Amino acid sequence: MWAAEKSRANPLVPLPATISAVRELTIDVNLFQVQFGDGGGFPYRPGQFAFLSAFGVGEAPFSITSLNDEGGPMEFAIRRVGTVSTALHDMEPGSVLGVRGPFGNGFPLDTFKGKNLVIIGGGIGLAPLRPIIKNALVYRDDYGEVVVIYGARTHQDLVFASEFEDWAAVPGVRLELTVDREGPGWDGRVALVPAVIKELQPTVENAVAIICGPPIMIRFVLAELKAQGFENHQIVTTLESKMKCGIGKCARCNIGEKYVCQDGPVFTFDQISGFLEQI
Amino acid sequence: MSRFLSREALLAWLDGLREGGTVVVAPTLVEGVSLYRQVPVASEIDLDASVTVVSPKEWLFPASHTIFTVERKDGRVDLRENTFDGRAVLFGLHPCDALGVHLMDVPFLAEPADGSYRERRERTALVGLSCIRCRPECFCTSVDTSPDDPTHLDVMLTLVEGGYVVAAASDKGEALLASAKPEEKALSLPEPPAPEKLPTEDLPRLFRALYDDGYWGRLADRCIHCNICSYVCPTCYCFDMRDYPRGNTAERVQSWESCQAPGFTRLAGGHDTRGSKAAKMRQRFAHKFLYFPETFDSQLSCSGCGRCVRACPVNIDIREIISDLKKIGVSSVGSGEK
Ligand code: SF4
Ligand code: SF4
Ligand code: FES
Repeated sequence: MWAAEKSRANPLVPLPATISAVRELTIDVNLFQVQFGDGGGFPYRPGQFAFLSAFGVGEAPFSITSLNDEGGPMEFAIRRVGTVSTALHDMEPGSVLGVRGPFGNGFPLDTFKGKNLVIIGGGIGLAPLRPIIKNALVYRDDYGEVVVIYGARTHQDLVFASEFEDWAAVPGVRLELTVDREGPGWDGRVALVPAVIKELQPTVENAVAIICGPPIMIRFVLAELKAQGFENHQIVTTLESKMKCGIGKCARCNIGEKYVCQDGPVFTFDQISGFLEQI
Repeated sequence: MSRFLSREALLAWLDGLREGGTVVVAPTLVEGVSLYRQVPVASEIDLDASVTVVSPKEWLFPASHTIFTVERKDGRVDLRENTFDGRAVLFGLHPCDALGVHLMDVPFLAEPADGSYRERRERTALVGLSCIRCRPECFCTSVDTSPDDPTHLDVMLTLVEGGYVVAAASDKGEALLASAKPEEKALSLPEPPAPEKLPTEDLPRLFRALYDDGYWGRLADRCIHCNICSYVCPTCYCFDMRDYPRGNTAERVQSWESCQAPGFTRLAGGHDTRGSKAAKMRQRFAHKFLYFPETFDSQLSCSGCGRCVRACPVNIDIREIISDLKKIGVSSVGSGEK
């Protein structure tokens, strides 16, 4: 399909890869499966990201939403918002794109071992959390109880809906869904995510909360978790910042002295509250 | 005894290297402006160049350069990296610019290294020229170098009556000099000039203390975001990458950017991590005086060349900022006037 003088010598040069399948998750979010040619590809950890190139349009970072240990193709859940994501949405299976990665620190899974996980997502924010959920399903004995609290504007904006049943069927895993606005076809909960946390009162002891979603949601979720007794070091999130290189060089993503592309994107609120530049 | 090259012998040496296939990049007058360019013949070198308008980073980290080209044909995509496999001499670097190259090496060669930069850097020898006079904006002795400092260079030249004293400053330099045929002469070197000395000691700590001070907002107020300070600077290395499609092909181009540019940190959704003028201005100086030294366990990321001082249309003056940090820092550390 493609021929390239493959060289990883320059980390700014992507590996060509093929879109092997596209699945519609919501009206504006597609799941892309990516297949590398012989000898291509790379291992990655939950919470890491990669840059995808639509050649001729540009490159943008996206979190990897598949779990490396499942051995399947690499997956990205992409919302059509910018020029690169729009160009990717316009691509058909079989199209060639560029992939550069993996970048970022990923989630500190070692520190999650033996703990109860409270996984909190909003909208497309479920994408970086999906590998942690999958990881907790695959290595079920490594973790205590797993509660996933996931919300979106409407039930039509919930991503990965076709997988919910499988997740919730695993013993010790609870899935709590909510939407901001009711609508035909939804008879579940209508409430904002922080309200659901308040309602459920997840156990604080030996727990870690992992949040991913729009900044405004993170702000209110953080306040609610604090009210429930969670400490900063028990709360983990991913930060968003403009990124071009992923390797600590273009000097764009930094928040104060912290480079989101290398030191992050995953930080505990303990770390965030110690940043020189407040966000 | 010193090794001596007459002006003619120096140019003949450079022409010999050039004829052997080495690219010679040196200050030359481009429509009256002294800039580092590849010279077709050594006699075109502006040997008397003081500090060039734009720094020699133009050679190692070009203002705009294609990293790779992709071509679509018969349903395939061919990706070709743009490589440099020649040899180059970057000639005429004053010590500040040699330090500038080092301060560019620090981030770009840190693993994972920037491939294009590493390739050019490994294939480039640095030939320096000590300074016989300073300009009013020079402050190299405040930032770990001096007018006759050969550190970071491969060969150092010093202007004397009738020619140059030449000394190898590295093995690479010694090898490069093999074809130079210098004379042995007893010569005394001139006394180097003494540029202005600024209070740069302790800058990272002072910066930390004044991080949230209103100073940055007041300073930023007059910045017009022209980005010139970053473009002329030998140590500024922010970059952008963009695609330029052309028929069946597309190029990915890496080009200079500036932290002062509007939209530099704006996300697709509209959120901007350094949206305010104050945050942008603080970034430029915090990067040089605080983040860089701490991230890379290195010295300050400024070579003391004074180019930004000359170039800024609204007189934002790094020397003044250094002095102010010291002044405000000493008088009000922690008071955090907003
Ligand atoms: S900040 Fe100004 S003085 Fe310092 S290296 Fe850059 S251009 Fe020269
Ligand atoms: S040169 Fe001066 S006006 Fe232009 S961006 Fe730099 S500080 Fe601002
Ligand atoms: S994305 Fe370039 S420095 Fe982080």
